[in-house]
Amino acid sequence: MQRIGWLRIGMAMVSALLVLFIAGPVLRLLVYAAPTELQAALADPELRAAIALTLFTATAATLIGLTLGLPLAYALARTPFRGRHVVTALLDLPIVLPHPVAGLALLLFLGRQTAVGRVLAFWGIEVVNHIPGIIAAMLFVSVPLIVHAARDAFRAVDPQLERVARSLGDNGWQAFRRITLPLAGRGVLTGAVMAWARSVSEFGAIVILTYNPKVASVYLYDRFTLSGLPAAIPAAAILLLVSLAVLGVVRFVRPREPA
Amino acid sequence: MIRLEGVGVHLPQFALREINFVVPARGHGLIIGPTGSGKTTLLEMIAGHLPLASGRIFLRGHDVAGIAPEARRVGIVYQHYHLFPHYTVRENIWYGLTGPGRGRPVGPAHARIADLADRLGIGHLLDRTVTGLSGGEQQRIALARALAPAPDILLLDEPFSAVDPTTRRAVRAVLQSIHEQEPITILQVTHDFEDALRWGDVVAILHEGTVAQAGRPDDVFRYPNSPEVARFVGTGNLLAGVIQRREAADPEMALTFPALFRVGRLVLELVADREGPAHIILRPEDLVVGRAPHLGSARNRFGATIVRRETVGPITYLHVDAGEPLTAAITTTTADEMQYRTGEVVQLAIKATAIHII
Repeated sequence: MQRIGWLRIGMAMVSALLVLFIAGPVLRLLVYAAPTELQAALADPELRAAIALTLFTATAATLIGLTLGLPLAYALARTPFRGRHVVTALLDLPIVLPHPVAGLALLLFLGRQTAVGRVLAFWGIEVVNHIPGIIAAMLFVSVPLIVHAARDAFRAVDPQLERVARSLGDNGWQAFRRITLPLAGRGVLTGAVMAWARSVSEFGAIVILTYNPKVASVYLYDRFTLSGLPAAIPAAAILLLVSLAVLGVVRFVRPREPA
Repeated sequence: MIRLEGVGVHLPQFALREINFVVPARGHGLIIGPTGSGKTTLLEMIAGHLPLASGRIFLRGHDVAGIAPEARRVGIVYQHYHLFPHYTVRENIWYGLTGPGRGRPVGPAHARIADLADRLGIGHLLDRTVTGLSGGEQQRIALARALAPAPDILLLDEPFSAVDPTTRRAVRAVLQSIHEQEPITILQVTHDFEDALRWGDVVAILHEGTVAQAGRPDDVFRYPNSPEVARFVGTGNLLAGVIQRREAADPEMALTFPALFRVGRLVLELVADREGPAHIILRPEDLVVGRAPHLGSARNRFGATIVRRETVGPITYLHVDAGEPLTAAITTTTADEMQYRTGEVVQLAIKATAIHII
């Protein structure tokens, strides 16, 4: 009895240490930044532009990820096609790849000297050191989150529901739109929000592909390396608040975990 | 009309081959097979959800190869109903009537939903969500949803297997009345023989991936064409033995002759059309039971010991040992009046012409 009591106390202490390790720096950063400094930082047009660019590019990357990722997720969930495991493994690659490596790989694939880069340039799309580069980097690192979440969500919808809908007169698209998508909606939305959050926090791939114009994470790194810690802290605190807001949204849309 | 010609499918779990079966227009056909024998797959192929490996499917006389499910005008009710969980009961039924849209259905859609809900006794559920409904309620809603667009072909996948007997009887009666009033051809897959006996115009028995026997339910159940079908439908006492001719063949009656069937120490007289190893069926209700030897015209009379009594409502089954284990069926009233007891020796009789040779 006494042994169990000590075990519980030990486990509680270890858990508390971990929680402190995560909460400590966050709280420290928020406390460190004085409200007046936060206001001043918010007035900085460069920071505001960086935050706006981050939110815009992350949204664009998420929408492109949904457009391209949902058909693939549906195929992975429903169709036992040859090479499915290879595709799944490929989708895991951006998650395990160091992000600067992803940035270099994208540079080699989408740069102006490459065939793909030339085709894109022909269509008027400049990637490297342009906004499409930021979107490409964000898409690369975040789209697996959409595909995995959507695939699991589609898999959880019984295919016989779609078959009933088709026997009631729906074509394939109508059955998907009216039955599968609404039922998988929460899972898809969770994946989209996670991907959006991942895009907002991306740094390693973006900094290689598109240093300028600066997204918030690159701007922050720039402030820290050029002007030191005090100059970076208010901007960091603002980005932290944005991240906390995103976390709140994620918690709101994600299916409830059992208590 | 539904016609299956040489239909086949190959899946990892099972294979169906050479399925031939015809359900006449406005008829009710049943395909009976054990669980996991591919019955649901067969229905999904007819509805157009799965591709055929071989053969052809004709609906209303037309080959439906390449026709999309939504163009086949076939209603389907699955064993587990598969109601749309994000719609209300009304919206589920409305779905096949170009709904659900905003607000409530109007005009013909409203009238159809109200009529079906009334006939199936689910009017009070229309504004509810489908979660938390009983199996019987879900079953009736699924049926209403499938019937709403007035399909002339309805596929039923074990529709009564997950509900209690009272609900089963009630819904069966409603479906039967709808079937009488609307021009629907029904194909039902089931493992329940009662459905076939009460309902079916035609029945097919699936065995080892193909149709072992098809025909009118009464014929299939009374005269199974193989020991496998006999075992599967549980027709009665199935005995494996040898037929021996008793008299020389009469040239005028060359097709049949009096014969003896021997199995162990049991020897039975019958009318045969062949000699050698064979199976025979003694239907439990054809076995006459008494304390004294039977005085009628039955050619076969023998003693047997009652091993067990089993009463199922008005019928009592006497499981006896006559050298071979046999079962005789008598009314429970007779069983009670005669006070048959386990261990008692009784006299059995059966006419030679009542023995069915497989």
